[in-house]
Amino acid sequence: MTKTFTVALLGNPNCGKSSLFNQLTGLRQKVGNFPGVTVDKKVGKLALDNKQQVSIIDFPGTYSFYPTSIDERIVVQSLSNPTDDNYPDAVVYVADVTKLEKHLLLLTQLRDLGLPLILGLNMSDVAEQEGLKVSTELLRKRLGVPVVLVSGRTGAGVDALKAVLREVMEKPGDYAATVPFFDMTEREKAVADAAKAIVPGANTYQGLLIAHHYEWLPFLTDAQRTLIKDIGQQYDFVSLRAQVDETMQRFDRFTPVVRSAMSAKPKEGRGITERLDEVLTHRIFGPVIFFGLMLLVFQAVFAWAGTPMEWIETFFTFAGDQAREILPAVWYTDLLTDGILAGLGGVLVFIPQIAILFLLIAILEEVGYMARAAFMFDQVMQSFGMNGRSIVALVSGGACAIPAIMSTRTIGNWKERLITILVTPFISCSARIPVYTVLVGFVVPPKTVLGIFNMQGLAFMGLYLLGIVSALGAAWVFKLILKTRERSFLMLELPEYRVPVARNVVLTVWEKVKSFVVEAGKIILGVSIVLWFLASYGPPGEMAAAEAEAMETAQALEMEEAEQDDLVASRKIEASFAGHIGKAIEPAIRPLGYDWKIGIALITSFAAREVFVGTMATIYSIGSADDEFTVRERMAQERNPLTGEPVYSMAASLSLLLFYVFAMQCMSTVAVVKRETKSWKWPAIQFAFMTGLAYLSALLAYQLLS
Amino acid sequence: MVATVGQDNKLYQAKPGLKGEVSHFSNEQIGSKLMAMGVLPGSKIEYIRKAPFGGGCYVKVDNFLLGLRKAEAASIVLK
Repeated sequence: MTKTFTVALLGNPNCGKSSLFNQLTGLRQKVGNFPGVTVDKKVGKLALDNKQQVSIIDFPGTYSFYPTSIDERIVVQSLSNPTDDNYPDAVVYVADVTKLEKHLLLLTQLRDLGLPLILGLNMSDVAEQEGLKVSTELLRKRLGVPVVLVSGRTGAGVDALKAVLREVMEKPGDYAATVPFFDMTEREKAVADAAKAIVPGANTYQGLLIAHHYEWLPFLTDAQRTLIKDIGQQYDFVSLRAQVDETMQRFDRFTPVVRSAMSAKPKEGRGITERLDEVLTHRIFGPVIFFGLMLLVFQAVFAWAGTPMEWIETFFTFAGDQAREILPAVWYTDLLTDGILAGLGGVLVFIPQIAILFLLIAILEEVGYMARAAFMFDQVMQSFGMNGRSIVALVSGGACAIPAIMSTRTIGNWKERLITILVTPFISCSARIPVYTVLVGFVVPPKTVLGIFNMQGLAFMGLYLLGIVSALGAAWVFKLILKTRERSFLMLELPEYRVPVARNVVLTVWEKVKSFVVEAGKIILGVSIVLWFLASYGPPGEMAAAEAEAMETAQALEMEEAEQDDLVASRKIEASFAGHIGKAIEPAIRPLGYDWKIGIALITSFAAREVFVGTMATIYSIGSADDEFTVRERMAQERNPLTGEPVYSMAASLSLLLFYVFAMQCMSTVAVVKRETKSWKWPAIQFAFMTGLAYLSALLAYQLLS
Repeated sequence: MVATVGQDNKLYQAKPGLKGEVSHFSNEQIGSKLMAMGVLPGSKIEYIRKAPFGGGCYVKVDNFLLGLRKAEAASIVLK
């Protein structure tokens, strides 16, 4: 076999498909993208005992071939076109055995594609606990597909599934349905046959799907679309009507099969889930508990991330020192220590915060709580033009906007999804924390008020709230501006509460952290190298002149060596390209209360906000001791050379803080927004309004307070 | 429990506690999506509680739980 055997893993949302995927493939999985869209494509490798390699594609959870979100569209797109790169050789369909009556619609649709098909009845462990009995033999006979009981949680039945998969690989033809499950009407048949003629290799049902979805299926040309449209009109084919009829017919056919195969044991009274929801989705307690949980989550992030972050910082400082000692003092050593190592450290230092936040969110998601949060806040989110599902993105935005923006893919309505993407970066992410830490002290004193509250802590919270309020405000404005005719839906299944599976949680966290390191990392690293260049080199001759002049001054004032070094470094940065740029923009930022040095930090921060602290350290030449407190001490001493007033006055510092709350200073986010919205238009608009708001509010704050 | 029979018996007008059987959907687009999720004519449905902020409805359909917007619930007509 030259081509790897490809198996598609499909099923309804909440059927436990991902658990099974993780069981089958473990860490041998890769996340890629489906062509043309940004839906995550998880591909895993599975080695069967016959040494054959199988590659498994984990498709997004889908209810039927009539999709409501881009996540679901990808399934139709890949399966209605036999020449698609992701068209599988066989399908493993996963259904929740405890809810079999509603999980088989897609199975019967898949069956009609004529692909070899296996039905995996998942959650066999739960069924066992509930005393639910199912006759797999009867299901196999009546549905015409092999049936295996499995549990993605415990791993039971996974070997049996692999054994069936091996048989299917040997004789794929034996496992494909020959008689379609669904009887088309004459009209549907005519339309389907005409559409099928257009796509090579398509069967009649695929033809029907193409006739339903020709408007957006990407593999069709415009001429083909017009052709299919005409055929549909000719036969008076009404897609929505036909969808409803098809769904009804399928349910009518398989419901009796399921009923006869299951030992019906109707559960009376309320289950644990319903009783928990009486409190967790209560009109008053529900939201209160949600905010309490979020407070705990963020508290945990701050409490647990501190120490590992210190380790990472210490490690990079140590590595930098070692490199400087071992390597000769030439340009490439500088590049390595001040460019590459500093850049890497700047990215990796956020891993603890991001990992902990996503760990907690992944647990809440696995337990089934996030669906409740989405349900509870849907109404509120709707009044801001978003969807209940946006809450997941907004909460994740507290760690990092990149994975948060990627999580909006489950929002079906384009306008709601776009608004969520546009406003998520307003939520204060972990990269703003070091900036806030440095600056907050210049704005409010570390006094205790009302006995227990630390003023600076309150100010911190205020900055976070400001981010949330501005996100909602901006969303509201976008809601008024953006127009759409597309209907929006909530229709959210609220799965039973379950104890989270550690494997699933760990794999999710691993994926999110990886996407952060890769997406943000390459940009931050690249920019810190450019930055290093701009700060280390200047127009020919100027750097040397500045150095000589500084030496002269130092000698005249009989400075000590350390002082002299500091003076030389700060004069050199003034003469560098970075210094020239800072001075060039000074007129624009002067009204905000900033000098050219802050200007340099502002520019470098557009790569990533956290670069601010490192840049400040470089500008004020504090060398490698670039922790927040050293930097802050040095900044406090900074005086305006003309007036003698502190540069970081209360007004200027507040203005700077506001700038960092609002401005879109993250290249990686810009790149991700471009990818998710498939155009430069939206990231450009986002950049403009966020940075505009930052400028205006900073201007206002400084002008009113100074 | 408010239960009148016929066209007007829309779920969201009812008070939590209402139980019934789905007759049909007054909106085809919403109906087709609800059907794909397993809400079918003949399904047993119970309106359990209103969402916080007065938004949606927490309903139980046969043996699963569903969060619906008002408009979505409104398109479910009971027998």
